[in-house]
Amino acid sequence: MVPAIQFKDVVKVYPLKAGDVTALDHISFQVEHGEFIAIMGPSGSGKSTLLNMMGCLDTPTTGDIFISGIGVRSMSDTELTNLRRDRIGFIFQYFNLFPLLNIIENVSFPQMLKSQKQVDEKKAVEVLRAVQLEERLYTHTPLELSGGQQQRVAIARALINDPDILLCDEPTGNLDSKTGASILDLMTELNRKGSTIIIVTHDPHVAEYTDRTIRIVDGRIAE
Amino acid sequence: MSTIFWEISKRNIRIHMLRSSLAMLGIIIGVVAIASMGILGNTIVQEVSSSLSSVGDSVIVTPYAGGGGMGPGGGGGGSSANLYLTDQNFQQIKRAVAPNVAIPIMSTSAHMKVGVGSDDIVAPIYGIPPDDTKKLLPDLEAGDYSNGNSGCLVGTTFAKDHNLKVGSRISIGKDGEYGALRVTGIIKERGMSFDISTDNALVVTQDWFENSFGTTNDELNEVVVKVTNGDTADVKTTIEKQLNRNTKDKTVSVIDSKATLATIYETFGMVTTFVTAIGGISMIVAGVSIFNIMMMSVNERIKEIGIMRSIGTQKKEVMSMFIFEASIIGIIGSLIGGILSLVAGYAISALMFQTTEYLFTVATMLSVAEGVGFGIVICIACGIYPAWQAANLNPIDALRHE
Repeated sequence: MVPAIQFKDVVKVYPLKAGDVTALDHISFQVEHGEFIAIMGPSGSGKSTLLNMMGCLDTPTTGDIFISGIGVRSMSDTELTNLRRDRIGFIFQYFNLFPLLNIIENVSFPQMLKSQKQVDEKKAVEVLRAVQLEERLYTHTPLELSGGQQQRVAIARALINDPDILLCDEPTGNLDSKTGASILDLMTELNRKGSTIIIVTHDPHVAEYTDRTIRIVDGRIAE
Repeated sequence: MSTIFWEISKRNIRIHMLRSSLAMLGIIIGVVAIASMGILGNTIVQEVSSSLSSVGDSVIVTPYAGGGGMGPGGGGGGSSANLYLTDQNFQQIKRAVAPNVAIPIMSTSAHMKVGVGSDDIVAPIYGIPPDDTKKLLPDLEAGDYSNGNSGCLVGTTFAKDHNLKVGSRISIGKDGEYGALRVTGIIKERGMSFDISTDNALVVTQDWFENSFGTTNDELNEVVVKVTNGDTADVKTTIEKQLNRNTKDKTVSVIDSKATLATIYETFGMVTTFVTAIGGISMIVAGVSIFNIMMMSVNERIKEIGIMRSIGTQKKEVMSMFIFEASIIGIIGSLIGGILSLVAGYAISALMFQTTEYLFTVATMLSVAEGVGFGIVICIACGIYPAWQAANLNPIDALRHE
């Protein structure tokens, strides 16, 4: 079975006026389907660049990246966008829901992009139930919800297109410890049901929930 | 796909209602300016057309007035200017234009009184052979043409101004030196015309004219050819060939009323285009304001665009969202502008021309449609660059934007 994510000798160099900065320096690793992984490292170590690469938001300077066996290096912007829509679910620290849309519309958004149709409430309700959000909140707007509730909606949105991988950028960084724990419990539950989850975090407590941790220091894998 | 972006655009306009309304106001003003100017121009053209079209089949021959050529009865500065057309000239014209009718016309101005104790007034008097009067002036408002030597026709404005009716008497000349005339008919309003302007004038028989003012049939002021057979341009050419054989010493000036009308319409058309273009300036200003609010909208939503792009929204979909926004403002603003310009056009027509009959014509409606269409196009065009900029934001930079 092909890995969910495979990095082969990936280098990312940002050309700056003051001189080139190597954000990722010959990184190679792979993530199997169904794994729950934490990526940790100090600020400026290259965690965000790695996350952007895994999320197909950026392409490597050299080396190759494969998402479910599909090489992304030579893909066009349209192909990368479709890959993000169909195979990757993003969960952000600040939830990043659309304030103009209600909860059902927020959750359905990626599905509408994929199907080119109107809101499929049935599917949205199904994933919202999976993330245990109370039904009375479905027609509310994001700003009417608590942080924990918003993050549950964000997770539901990430799950709606049945992605191969869930990429989480500090998903509990903006939540209190109790709510954060409940979100991590939810992710563990999703992982147990088969989702591949990668969490970028500073928090060692978060890493305790995962199967393994990849540590990045100065653009290299430390272990 | 488009449904959700259309929905987002609508909601974004709604939450920024004041800003969107002000942008719409700019478009409304622009559309009203363009459409109202178009309505005004078209109304003027149609008003003039209705006044002039009745003389569109005439060719007017006047004595050659030198290089300038001033038109019927006019002067002019040429060294070889003639004062009158002779009977010989008239016979030549008559033969040249047959079977079309040539009508000889004498004219002057005279003092007259329209009632006992009334003020002395001065008005134009035309002398026309009785047989030709009906051909030149086919429509009477009242009375008939039975004007023997003591009868006359009067123009409708003249009749109204001096309270004249069929049967009224007019004393011609200071102290009635040329005798009195009885009004036998009132000529229907003709408005502006190239041949004779009768609305404020008297029309008498040629015999009475010659006897009273001591003129002869060699003192014709103009000859009007009513063209019922052939084209006015051909008739003009024929007359010029016959009477202006000596190119250095011309005998007559010939005006083709149809060609002159065409020139007038063309001139009015240019004026309409010019004033509409001035209205267009306000539309461009409105377009700049649309561009401005769309740029503001993009800048406020950079993070949102980053999120959209990261979860799989294509560039063209981001672009469509902003184009929809500009289109909604453009369509609503332009339609309101179109309706208001009809109201403004109605008011202008009613106040300036005392009639609104030209408001709902094809040409006028076309002006409104042009204004509305231009408004929508300007809005969409001004939304394209901000939309393109939004679509081409780097998703990573956009996501980091605070």
